[in-house]
Amino acid sequence: MNKRGKIGFYIFLIIFVFLVMFPFIWVFLTSIKPVNEIFSSFKWFTSNPSLSSYEAALTNRPLLRYMLNSFVVSILTTLLALVFASFTAYAVTRLPIKGKGLILGIVLAASMFPQIAIISPMFNLVTGLGLRNSYLGLIIPYITISLPLAIWILSTFFQKIPYELEESAKLDGASPFQTFRKIIFPLATPGIFTTGILVFIAAWNEYLFALTINSEDSWRTVPVGISMYQSEFSVPWGDISAATVIVTIPIVILVLIFQRRIVSGLTSGSVKE
Amino acid sequence: MKRKKRSFQLNEKQLGYAMVLPSLILVFVVVLWPVAQSFWNSLFDYRLNDPNRSELMLSANIDLERYVDNHFYINSQLEDLASSVEGEAAATITDIKEKINGYHQELVEDEETKQKVEKVDELIMNYQPVTDSDLKYQKIDNGFADEYRDALMSYQDKLTGLASSVSDETVSENINQSADLLGATGETILKSNFIGLKNYGKYLQDTRMWKSLWNTTFFTVVTVALELVLGVCIALLINRAFKGRGLIRASVLIPWAIPTAVAAMMWGFLYDGQSGIVAHYLASLNLIPGESWLLSTSNGGMFSIILADVWKTTPYMALLILAGLQTIPSSLYEASGVDGANKWQQFWKITLPLLKSSILVALLFRTLDAFRVFDLIYVLTGGGPANATESISVYAYKTLFAQQNFGEGSVLSVIVFLCVALISFIYVKLIGSDLFAGRTK
Repeated sequence: MNKRGKIGFYIFLIIFVFLVMFPFIWVFLTSIKPVNEIFSSFKWFTSNPSLSSYEAALTNRPLLRYMLNSFVVSILTTLLALVFASFTAYAVTRLPIKGKGLILGIVLAASMFPQIAIISPMFNLVTGLGLRNSYLGLIIPYITISLPLAIWILSTFFQKIPYELEESAKLDGASPFQTFRKIIFPLATPGIFTTGILVFIAAWNEYLFALTINSEDSWRTVPVGISMYQSEFSVPWGDISAATVIVTIPIVILVLIFQRRIVSGLTSGSVKE
Repeated sequence: MKRKKRSFQLNEKQLGYAMVLPSLILVFVVVLWPVAQSFWNSLFDYRLNDPNRSELMLSANIDLERYVDNHFYINSQLEDLASSVEGEAAATITDIKEKINGYHQELVEDEETKQKVEKVDELIMNYQPVTDSDLKYQKIDNGFADEYRDALMSYQDKLTGLASSVSDETVSENINQSADLLGATGETILKSNFIGLKNYGKYLQDTRMWKSLWNTTFFTVVTVALELVLGVCIALLINRAFKGRGLIRASVLIPWAIPTAVAAMMWGFLYDGQSGIVAHYLASLNLIPGESWLLSTSNGGMFSIILADVWKTTPYMALLILAGLQTIPSSLYEASGVDGANKWQQFWKITLPLLKSSILVALLFRTLDAFRVFDLIYVLTGGGPANATESISVYAYKTLFAQQNFGEGSVLSVIVFLCVALISFIYVKLIGSDLFAGRTK
């Protein structure tokens, strides 16, 4: 690449990153403005930054409680999905069972089903079990999203583990389940971890089930809680931008730490190797 | 030795099925059963907020909680009435009383009904609500239900007529009260609310349904096309080694990773007619007619949700395509370069054909996601202004949960389901067996 091309390329990159990050930058800059400045000017930088919006965001609505709810529900959903999905993915990729295509077909179809077609019977089911406004009331419907996703990604990872190790374990007299627990599972740990991150993000971001099933404020999750900041009469943009910044920070940290894993997980389902 | 190996094989197979089974059961319970249930619900006039239609009833039913409670007062009230009036009127009231008793006897002739009536009676005496819907509702013969209900309604009319002919005001009021009681008792006998495909007929002629279906299709086609073109361009540009790749990757992942509802709130702020910076800049560049255009006009609303969606998912598309690009061996480009092919030819003859399967898989998932769009629209515009951005999922949600109409709402969700099934079918045909490649052996 010649020098001029290189400079052009970097200029393009800077513009691209700026456009992608612009909403975050602007929302952050808004969150540290005094409230009256938000509504009166389009200045980028405020001359007297304040944290009053953050205080309002945390006191007007139970934002930390929303985050706790989201965290508990997402973590439990992820663990549950990983246990069941790793069994299934192992059986489908390594064991001599019939109907593998059918099983994966069902799983893929299940991941394509629109949530809106599931929501009303699921709502009746959860109401009937008396689980509305509880963690379990969200974890059950979240299986519809997390389990197919986890099986789909994990089966690609399991496929990549060399067969020779399994063969030698068999020769040494290990039972199939021992092989799974002692050989495959440790080797697949990075893949399982990656799958876990993706399932966690999917559960953290879910909106429809959380909106309908947990309607009490103290059981709401982050996406639903955030959307409740706007009322019919006024829109407190200061609170909203501060709340957005607060809930985005954990995700930014997660992405920065695990970006390689996330990319490998996202692309594992779509690229033939 | 041979025998031992065979039994080992069998064990492996059994283990395999045992490992698959829990997930399959879960998928059936939380995905397939609810979808089937949605189909079934859509055949009923099923409304949560109407006590006469809040259950699925294939045949006539009687709401025992309300029936027993009302029936308890009928006898004594009518007796009091009969003694407070004279002559023909008294005879009519006694006649009504006896006939109702006759019907009630016929009702409790059925042993099961009788037992339930007694149990419900006991609960009501203790001021306890009947929570068990098995106990609360009892199936009864359709013909008998119609007859009993019609009879109660006609007695109500008779008593109302009687009330207007009586001169004493207190007596007249008492008669009217009893008439209301009979009417309310009649209401507890519920007709079947199975209506077959009638709901579908209604929605096939519903302009709002067609409008929302069109909105969804338009949104899907435009966003997916834009995301694909932009995604390919970005992937081609960054498919090389350079400093700062990690930064690019992270900045690309963050919009994808944040909740759609949070992204929708952010864009709602940027688009706001008074303090939104994007609205302000676009208006001062004369790209849009005015600052309030974005969220208060139909075209503006559609533009807004499309832009927000493209911002959120183009990076994801670019990542998938970039991963596909990296599997193309560079020797192919070198060889074609030697043969004198230019970049443009290389793109059409090498890059695109080899990217085909990754692009199709990415398109499949994106198209389905876009077609099911809910959070973005629900939070950003609420389907407005004037339903101009309402997607079919948003319409279904409003019917299901704002109107509490589970019968009609299920029709809309079944329509979403059928569209999604059709889209997946077409894509899976196009992609073929590649979808499963590398997973089964």
